[in-house]
Amino acid sequence: MNISVKIGQSVFPNPVTVASGTFGHAEEFYGQEEVLKLGALVPKTVTLYPQQGNPPKRICETPAGMINAIGIENPGIDAFIDLKLPKLKATGVPLIISISAHSEDDFAVMIEKLNDAGGLSAIELNLSCPNLQKKVLVAQSAEATSSVVQRAKQVAKYPLIAKLSPNVTDIAAIALAAEEAGADAISMVNTFMAMAIDIKKRRSRIGNFTGGLSGPAIRPIAVRMVCETAAKVKIPVIGMGGITSADDALEFLIAGATMVAVGTYNFVDPRTPLAVLEGIKAYMKANKMTDIRELIGSIQR
Amino acid sequence: MKKIQGKYKVVELVRVNDIYYRLVLDAPALAKAVKPGQFVHIRVSDHFEPLFRRPFSVYRALAGKVEIFFEPVGKGSKMLASCKKGDVLDVLGPLGKPFASPSRSVKQIVFVGGGIGVAPFMIFSDTLLKHKAEKVLLYGGRSKAHTFSLAEFKKNGVKTFISTDDGAVGVKGRVSELFSKIDLAPTTFIYACGPKPMMAAVAAFACDKGLSGEASMEEVMACGLGACLGCSIPTTKGYRTVCHDGPVFDLKELVFA
Repeated sequence: MNISVKIGQSVFPNPVTVASGTFGHAEEFYGQEEVLKLGALVPKTVTLYPQQGNPPKRICETPAGMINAIGIENPGIDAFIDLKLPKLKATGVPLIISISAHSEDDFAVMIEKLNDAGGLSAIELNLSCPNLQKKVLVAQSAEATSSVVQRAKQVAKYPLIAKLSPNVTDIAAIALAAEEAGADAISMVNTFMAMAIDIKKRRSRIGNFTGGLSGPAIRPIAVRMVCETAAKVKIPVIGMGGITSADDALEFLIAGATMVAVGTYNFVDPRTPLAVLEGIKAYMKANKMTDIRELIGSIQR
Repeated sequence: MKKIQGKYKVVELVRVNDIYYRLVLDAPALAKAVKPGQFVHIRVSDHFEPLFRRPFSVYRALAGKVEIFFEPVGKGSKMLASCKKGDVLDVLGPLGKPFASPSRSVKQIVFVGGGIGVAPFMIFSDTLLKHKAEKVLLYGGRSKAHTFSLAEFKKNGVKTFISTDDGAVGVKGRVSELFSKIDLAPTTFIYACGPKPMMAAVAAFACDKGLSGEASMEEVMACGLGACLGCSIPTTKGYRTVCHDGPVFDLKELVFA
């Protein structure tokens, strides 16, 4: 059974990965098995300089989901490369490093540093974090997305993945812009802008006032968006949004995703990616499939 | 999960009084591994409501059994209260940084507990039976029912002083006011666990008197592992996660708004 997939020239042994920000840096508390069997590891988004993140409360549980406004707390790219990357490389699991920046120049500087650090399989451009006090996200404009991806493509020696925001009218149009600009894959979806209110205090339940909604609650919307996008772009789509089981992941694959990422549910059960992988294999076996490509985009219309 | 995820059978779930429930899990590996101040992260539902696990401080870990106390106030704890003997729960633990063991030079250990915040001090006093320091518990609750397990603390050689909001037991007032009841020394070490205003009062008191101590903090948590960075609180070293960097922090590091 062949379940390996490709993004650009990079090969991943299986299609199951994790959404950035939901698996830390694969720290020692995760078991060997959970880490080593992943198709790719995606650590938490890194920025050029260290960021302390948003004030509490940073998270809030909602029906079948959560709202978060962590604010990309991270040690900055230099400390990441010095302190975190060696341990991540030592796992031997293909690495997709997620980066975010306030300008195209900053993206380029970070990519050059990652080029020099070496040992990666891809770089994910987080164009869609909604928590940085900006009015418009890069991923909310086809023009801005195209411009950032083009600039990044000039410098990157690794395949580039554009991570898109679902907070747009037509996500497929943004994905097409990223593809035309040279992106090697699309990763979708990031969180949906959301809010929850403490009615006793009449205050937002999130310190940053608003945050991003994730978890099973958003899954059907994410599946629809992946299905629409995968039908329009030629590059692979990494699908995510509320995956809790192999069945959930299969929806994304059938909708057209080449890889799937477990996000919020890692917080509930860190063994989820493993269960997803085993379940996909079992499904393929039961349906007499020998190659994952028979499954990807097999939605009947 | 490396050693820390397990499925454990509920051997007892009883309503202790009007407020609290006591849950006992048959969990030999967990009971052996847990240190005072650490917590267990329990999945209370197989469904998406509530989505997250719920963290509970370990109250006792004896003879292969792990005990927790809780007040069913929210969705998750109410669901836990409806468990039955024989149910199997998915538990992550032990998690978090435990209390520092008091050194031999510590001559007096003062536990300050507010309501359910007293829980980690029971397992702590279990491990301190041989420590020669005088052990004192300053214990505050809203009402009589909020002050449980006093006899068990006394059995562990802990002197107890009580305050309640209504004065039904002990002194009427706040737990921090009980400090005046005891003779503090430079070799006193404070351990605090309770609601934030209490912790702020204890931290201010310790700072004022030049005393050292630790506090076990609480915050809404998702992963419990230090991965999501959702439960971060401000400290003098920047934001730190309650689940992984804590829940125990040096009193001097805490920042109260």
